[in-house]
Amino acid sequence: MPSLDIAAESRIEAAPMKKTSLLHRGSLALTALLLALAGIPFFYLFQRASGASGSEISALLFREKTFSIFFNTFSLIFLVSLGAVLIGAGFATLLYAVKITRSALFLLLATLPIAIPSYVFTYSWIAIFPWFRGIWAAALVLTFSTMPYIFLATYAALRRVDLVQIEVARSLGFNRLEVFTKIVLPQIRGAIGASLLLVILYVLSDFGAVSLLGVDTFTRTIQNLYKASFDRQSAAILGLILMFIAATIILIEERVHKKNIASNSSVRVQSSASLITKPMAKLASLSLIVIYSFLALALPAYVLTTRMIANFQEIDYPALASATFNTLLVSTFGAIIAIAFALPLSWTIIATRSRFALFTEKVVLITHALPGVVLGLSLVAFGSKISWLYQSVGLLSFAYALLFLAKAVGNTRASMEKIPPILKEVSLTLGVSPLSTFRKITLPLAAPGIWVGFLLVLLTAMKELPATLMLRPTGFETLAVEIWSASTLSQFNQAAPYAFTLIALAAIPTFILSRPDRIQQESNHVEKERWRE
Amino acid sequence: MLKRFIIPVLALALLASAGCSPNTGGNTGGNSEDSLENVSELTIYSGRSEAFIAPFFAEFEAESGIKLNIRYGDSAELAAQILEEGSNSPADLFLSQDAGALGAVAEANLLIELPGDLTSTLPARFLSPTDQWVGITGRARVFAYNPEQVSQLPKSFQDFTRSEYKGRFGIAPTNSSFQAFITALRDNIGEVKAERWLRGIVANSPRYYEKNSMIVEAIDKGDIDLGLTNHYYIFEVANALGRAISVKDGFFAQGDLGNMINVSGAGVLASSKKASAANSLISFLLRRDTQEKFVANTKEYSLLEGVAGPEGLPDLEQIGAPTVDLDALKDLKRTQDLLIKVGLL
Repeated sequence: MPSLDIAAESRIEAAPMKKTSLLHRGSLALTALLLALAGIPFFYLFQRASGASGSEISALLFREKTFSIFFNTFSLIFLVSLGAVLIGAGFATLLYAVKITRSALFLLLATLPIAIPSYVFTYSWIAIFPWFRGIWAAALVLTFSTMPYIFLATYAALRRVDLVQIEVARSLGFNRLEVFTKIVLPQIRGAIGASLLLVILYVLSDFGAVSLLGVDTFTRTIQNLYKASFDRQSAAILGLILMFIAATIILIEERVHKKNIASNSSVRVQSSASLITKPMAKLASLSLIVIYSFLALALPAYVLTTRMIANFQEIDYPALASATFNTLLVSTFGAIIAIAFALPLSWTIIATRSRFALFTEKVVLITHALPGVVLGLSLVAFGSKISWLYQSVGLLSFAYALLFLAKAVGNTRASMEKIPPILKEVSLTLGVSPLSTFRKITLPLAAPGIWVGFLLVLLTAMKELPATLMLRPTGFETLAVEIWSASTLSQFNQAAPYAFTLIALAAIPTFILSRPDRIQQESNHVEKERWRE
Repeated sequence: MLKRFIIPVLALALLASAGCSPNTGGNTGGNSEDSLENVSELTIYSGRSEAFIAPFFAEFEAESGIKLNIRYGDSAELAAQILEEGSNSPADLFLSQDAGALGAVAEANLLIELPGDLTSTLPARFLSPTDQWVGITGRARVFAYNPEQVSQLPKSFQDFTRSEYKGRFGIAPTNSSFQAFITALRDNIGEVKAERWLRGIVANSPRYYEKNSMIVEAIDKGDIDLGLTNHYYIFEVANALGRAISVKDGFFAQGDLGNMINVSGAGVLASSKKASAANSLISFLLRRDTQEKFVANTKEYSLLEGVAGPEGLPDLEQIGAPTVDLDALKDLKRTQDLLIKVGLL
């Protein structure tokens, strides 16, 4: 199957009009712009680190502490990867195999924890269990809050598995385990790998959970260096190391990814029959999800509610309303900008396979692993020279787009890649301009993936804190900023209304994301409409 | 093929030229056409949290007719931000929780020299030696303790290495107020003795907390019996919990370094074109009636002579505070190296 793809692409590559088309030039220009802009944090890190002498660097790197930072960071990556894949892929497989009438509810329960910012989540656990600290605690929090990404990706991939293959395998005498490992797993491995990469990059950049739980990772150490000594040079050196770690992980994932096969059959049979039929097995599967959602949802909800009731203070409604509006405004802009870059980048990658476009994609992925404070300071250093741009809604939205673009690119690119090249080719042969082809074929067919990317960026941007603190317009408070300013006073009860609102707001995109069937249906609908035209 | 690279290179060049344009905006400071009458707005970077300082800002706005745009943040992170902004900072005034962050900004020559009518208000030990910042309020280091659990009170910060407190106390090593104390310690007793004390502390199994308020909460809950913190956290936590707590502030013997006074303070940015309006805000914050409100509302100490301390605590003169060079607090790098060396960071 992959060979067909390559053949089709190479034929498109050969189409003579393509290179001069507006679409081609436009995408290339936008991708180039993206690369230039995404380069800012790296340029900044190199510039800040460049003043360091060799002895300073070795004093910073060759000490006991460095070992423990490496150890903590990699242990956390390992534990979270293991936990998130086991739980995320496990839940997805269970929900796929157990067909029940209320599956939407369980999908939502398994997804909803991504609406809770990791610092709120951590705080809730500490409030109940004061001894909750250290690397295991951090691994637990990060597993719980990143698991839904793997869950969603696996569930979507499972829905693309052709049931006929499973039936055939079963009829050939394969048992369940063999069916899973030989038929299903190879087809979902790619989706798990891609979402796992994003999870790992997120773990590298997380600050909220590790700082509250006292685990010294690269990001926490970088933040502490800025905090304790205004020491921008050492922080930049560690930032560069973090960048190399992220790059290495991305390259490893790429190697592994090449070996995976995606399901490419054009006709898929799906069944509504349950693969797990025994009532006890069904019950056990669903209880696991309920236990998870109790720990990951009910517990924080309980703490927030009791904290709010324990010392009920007059809620400042105007402040709450403006923070809600600001959060929505800037995260929506951020998601729009992210999609505006994700589209040309994905298109350029698919259409040209140029090294330059693939390189840009990697830069975008590495950016996802950078601590918010690094990206924030780099945009402060550049942005403050342009007074109309500095501390504007525009620059903050752009920062969100840059930080979370990786989430949009993956989905956009994957959905574009799934479009049979023949469709574009026919359209082009019929004399439709590339831009119209893109508008009429590519965009509608890729819409579900683009939409998922948009929602993921929106959701994550709502919760972002470190870059928001630096780049927001003065006096422009978001929900995350209000939570932060109240909880630094140990007055978490004051933060509770803001935390509630933020979680409720983030629950909306989460809710839509938790219904891949719906998103998919819409695209099928569009597909049919298009064919009628 | 070549074309593919021309565009990005051009874009990069464009960006670099935007980024590297020479700094305009001078460092002379206080130079400009501002007089109080034609200033309508000021931009404040405030490391003091909104809950405490906002009422004071509101009062100044009402009095002066100047609108304040306030950016709240962590003192040290705002200092790092100002250092990045350099001469392009949109801020007129920097209000910091501690002297160290102000010292770092002053050292980079980003603050103006304040006029004598402001600096003469305060004792010299609460000022920058170069007059680039002034203290606004005082915050005493104390030990917080549960009176029912601790019979033998420590006489010196040194006592925390003794076995009777083993495993019973909390510290917040990543917190800036703890680090400011260690900086003062290094400055006063030297690196070697400071390291020995820190190692003694680590060996005495303290509990570690992210924030001072968490130490007080932990004492109230009974997790620990005492902890090193600032004096006002007992009021803050009681207020947050909405009830009385079983935690008190204790002071060490007269002159003990454990009683050091750090200050929150303010400086005017050299890049500001509204220096005299910014000075008038500092002058407002240092006025006697404002200072009395600080004592009553935020439970901090006034740095003016003759203003009483917060209710239930001794006055500033009676604390027996040691002589500490607040300007030395900006040298946090070596403190951090030391904390890293003994495994606290």
